[in-house]
Amino acid sequence: MNAFAKTLLTPKNARRLLMTVAVGLLVLFVLYKVVYPIVFDAYVGKSNAPLTYANSQPISEAELEAMATELSLSARRAAAEAIVGQDDNAFARRVKVEMLMNTQSFMREHEPTHIKYFRDASILQYEGPQTCLQCHATIKVRHHDGRTSEVDTLDDIVNSVHFKFQSDGGGGFSTYGYDGRQVNAEGSRPIPVGKINRACGIPGSFSWTGWAALVESRPESTHGEVELRSEGCGQCHIGGNYQPATEKMMPIGDVPDVAKEGIDCLICHSTEYDMNQRYVIRDHVGLRWNQDRTMRAALTVGRATTKNCLNCHQHNMGGDAYLHNEAAQALGKQHRRLLHTGAKRGNPFSPQDDVHAAAGLQCTDCHVPEGHKIPRGRMGVDLVANDLPDVEVSCVTCHSIAPHNRSEHKALLNGHLDRIACETCHIRDLQDNNVVLRDWVHPTWDAEEGIFTPTDVYRSGEVNKGFTFLWFNGNGTFLANALGNNPNGSTEYDPLMRQLARIDDPEIVAAVREKALELKKTYPDIDLDAYVEAATDPLSQLTPEQLDERRRMLDENLRAHMNDGQSRIYPFKLFNAMMYEDMGNQGPFGAMILPFDYATYYETGDTAASVKQAIRDPIVQRMYQEPFKLYMMDEFMAYFGVSGGWKTDYPLVDGKLKNVEPKWMRQMGSLMVNHGIQSVGRDCVECHSPSGILDYRALGYSQERAAELENLDIVENLRPAASLSATDGG
Amino acid sequence: MNPARNRVAASAIGIRLDHPDPTDRDRLASSTGGTRCGRLLLAVWLCVIVLGTPAAHAEAAAADPGRAGEEVEHSEAASDRHGCLRCHAMPTLAYRNPESGEIVDLSIDREGLAHSVHGELACIDCHRRSYRRYPHPDRPAPGDLDCIGCHEDDDQNLSRGWVDIDAEFKRSVHAVSDSPKAVGFSCHSCHDPHRFRPAAVGEPIAQIVRNHNEVCLSCHGKLIAPTNTSHDWLPNRDAHWASVRCVECHTPVADFANHEVLPAEKSEKNCVSCHSANPQLLARLYHFQSEEDIARSGLLAKAVFNEAYVVGMSKSPALDRLSLAIMGLMVLLLAAHGVGRYLVRRANRRG
Repeated sequence: MNAFAKTLLTPKNARRLLMTVAVGLLVLFVLYKVVYPIVFDAYVGKSNAPLTYANSQPISEAELEAMATELSLSARRAAAEAIVGQDDNAFARRVKVEMLMNTQSFMREHEPTHIKYFRDASILQYEGPQTCLQCHATIKVRHHDGRTSEVDTLDDIVNSVHFKFQSDGGGGFSTYGYDGRQVNAEGSRPIPVGKINRACGIPGSFSWTGWAALVESRPESTHGEVELRSEGCGQCHIGGNYQPATEKMMPIGDVPDVAKEGIDCLICHSTEYDMNQRYVIRDHVGLRWNQDRTMRAALTVGRATTKNCLNCHQHNMGGDAYLHNEAAQALGKQHRRLLHTGAKRGNPFSPQDDVHAAAGLQCTDCHVPEGHKIPRGRMGVDLVANDLPDVEVSCVTCHSIAPHNRSEHKALLNGHLDRIACETCHIRDLQDNNVVLRDWVHPTWDAEEGIFTPTDVYRSGEVNKGFTFLWFNGNGTFLANALGNNPNGSTEYDPLMRQLARIDDPEIVAAVREKALELKKTYPDIDLDAYVEAATDPLSQLTPEQLDERRRMLDENLRAHMNDGQSRIYPFKLFNAMMYEDMGNQGPFGAMILPFDYATYYETGDTAASVKQAIRDPIVQRMYQEPFKLYMMDEFMAYFGVSGGWKTDYPLVDGKLKNVEPKWMRQMGSLMVNHGIQSVGRDCVECHSPSGILDYRALGYSQERAAELENLDIVENLRPAASLSATDGG
Repeated sequence: MNPARNRVAASAIGIRLDHPDPTDRDRLASSTGGTRCGRLLLAVWLCVIVLGTPAAHAEAAAADPGRAGEEVEHSEAASDRHGCLRCHAMPTLAYRNPESGEIVDLSIDREGLAHSVHGELACIDCHRRSYRRYPHPDRPAPGDLDCIGCHEDDDQNLSRGWVDIDAEFKRSVHAVSDSPKAVGFSCHSCHDPHRFRPAAVGEPIAQIVRNHNEVCLSCHGKLIAPTNTSHDWLPNRDAHWASVRCVECHTPVADFANHEVLPAEKSEKNCVSCHSANPQLLARLYHFQSEEDIARSGLLAKAVFNEAYVVGMSKSPALDRLSLAIMGLMVLLLAAHGVGRYLVRRANRRG
């Protein structure tokens, strides 16, 4: 042995050894950088190719100057009009605006900053991230704890939720599996968490299978002529590639450079970004989303403003059909984007419907970015990724714990903060088109658009119809149910068996029945009573054994997490959907839902065919194989409340769906609503009366306490004063 | 007597009335008293009871007629508290003072109140009746919330009378200072009547020190900032801060005038006032030590460590134990030496 060591250490042999190690490392590096991506792409059936955009054209210097003048003028005019907006005499206003327009300092201040930079650097074509990175290769980041650091810009954005829509390891919220374990807690096997791998009832699809689609619509107006429409998750995500950042799901590997070149910097950073450029295009590789890469957009870059955020986020707040959704007025020069007429939350952020938007606040005033990482706050139930899970975003950060100053009863109002979230009083209702129950299985023909759309069985923005009130301590379940409990430690408060699992309101039941009757005309197989029961009492779909198991899991696994920390009453938008489920992977809270292929769905209305098409996607097939089972699906199922691990029985056999059934999820999801804040809150008696909007008993208060809260003598004295203060906005 | 005080006194007696109701006892007597002999025995037994507990019996007799009324008052006080606490137990009951912009906290800790000396009172015993209705008056009337007004008759139970305390306070820097910060200084500036509970004999001294000093530091917190040099002259400053109350040095050392807080320049700087054979501290801070505590450790401490000279001496149990061990070793050595000499002498005699 000693002799062997000696021979090894002779200068000649040592050199050889070094060479071998170096070559070995080089081979590994090449394998990782070159071979792994090719093998991975082949495995998941995704492709990458250099991306080109037709609107990324060079302009001449003269064109640049003309554009600069025009953009400066319009920016200046907008600023001047904002300043003199208060003057009610139209003529005086016009004169003042003209004066400002010709004021030297005003001209300097309101010229878009990058006009000068581009002119000096002779940048005459916008070529995507590479143009931005010429100057912004690194950026300085100020962290919430006061630290500053310098980061690689591209790396920062590639690893942000906006690009990869998932969080690393422990990111996300305090989400608990139905098995009682915190998702991605320290010591557990981390799984990717976010929208990337989540077939959701609202979009009806995975981002993998629904990234970009061209749909052949046959609208009434064209008399059978086909119009191509765009649809897919990619419309709201900044990656311009043929698929989401699938590579980022794996513990190793990175998104290919060509895919990074597709990042759309300008949708967030340009004030002149044209949403009409956002539509699906087809090239020799496949379908992907176009974006605005014109010099016009590039010349107006700056910090992300509310307008930029709302290009995408009004979609999930006010909704696509919301009157003041500006992005939804610009659906595309061609292949117009399909509007989703039912709103996901129905709480708009706009000057018309939100007091903060009206005050001119920017989204980033509350969601203070750290580089390209943007905080969502520490509370949330929706299992969607979170870049900065430890950063607080809350009302009290600005408003303090004594926010009411105008009302005569300010102290009493402030007193409620300990138990009642601000949103409970300051969001009075949601938009009317807020979807509560959506049936994906029985679509309805939309003659105007010329497509089959999922049937919204029940929509409402009204209190206790479209949304209700739940105790919430910041924890949520794996299927987006708010966790929390009455601070009295009640065992009566039982949202997963009551508020979220049963609809008793006779008005809603009647509305569902009416819609079911309507559906029955197209789908005669529908059993009316069974349909209404399943939709309004989803627990009725469980066997008695499953119900017992559910009860046991709630008591043993979730009760403790409901009692964690401090709970307050929050409003939650309610939602449930009927989708196709893989019954082989079923538990007492639901089964694995299967995605739809958008084109098949919208064009034919054949929902089963649409599911078959979607699950033929290679990545769904991989999901039903052993490596994915071991890598993440077993863990996924455990959190989902399905015992025995992931069953890899692929639900498509010989072209037929096997063990697949249409089902409502066994309880409603609850989505937090935090925007659409109104200045005037609720009146005392809206809650403190026997017919108030809070069901104190269901919220776990004792009979005596509930009676006391419903019949507060004091409230009668307050009424005139409270409504008085309400009229002046108190 | 003030009605509030009356109730406290009554309830204090009420606690001691913890024996079967007299009517029950009569029933017992009539049912068991079947024979003459039995009656005689019963009479003897009753005599024993009566003689054995003369004080209790007398008090019971005195309090009896008022008991029903007292219970009513008790439940009235409880319901009055319940009414007020419906709002005031909300931990975030507060508003922003429009003049200063500061948040004014109006909340009352339910538990704290229940354990305080005032926990049995009705709120309107101290606050005017008009506070019973909402909205309340803007500010209390002059003379409201006056501690001395309620407590002037309480002297007999206290080491210091309330009148003395009042007089001390009026001499204190808190009362005589011209500083704008001292304007409106009252009992409530330091003592929150909704939490106030005097330190009890037997409470750990360190706890008492912490609680008392917290009151001072709630305004004078700057003094303990790391950059503050005001107490740098004091040897072992931090040890002093942890083991004695601010008032030990900042009130006249000669008497118990805890409320006569002195200006900084007049405060005690003489170490010997405490560190002497006749230390003030023993009489002041250490009177909270219970008899049991003293019996358990104090006797030994006094005899062996001479605690009376330096309070708690080293305050380091390890050092105390070490010196005890050395002393024990010494005794052993002496004994061994004696035995050795005895043995040597005996051996010599034999030889």
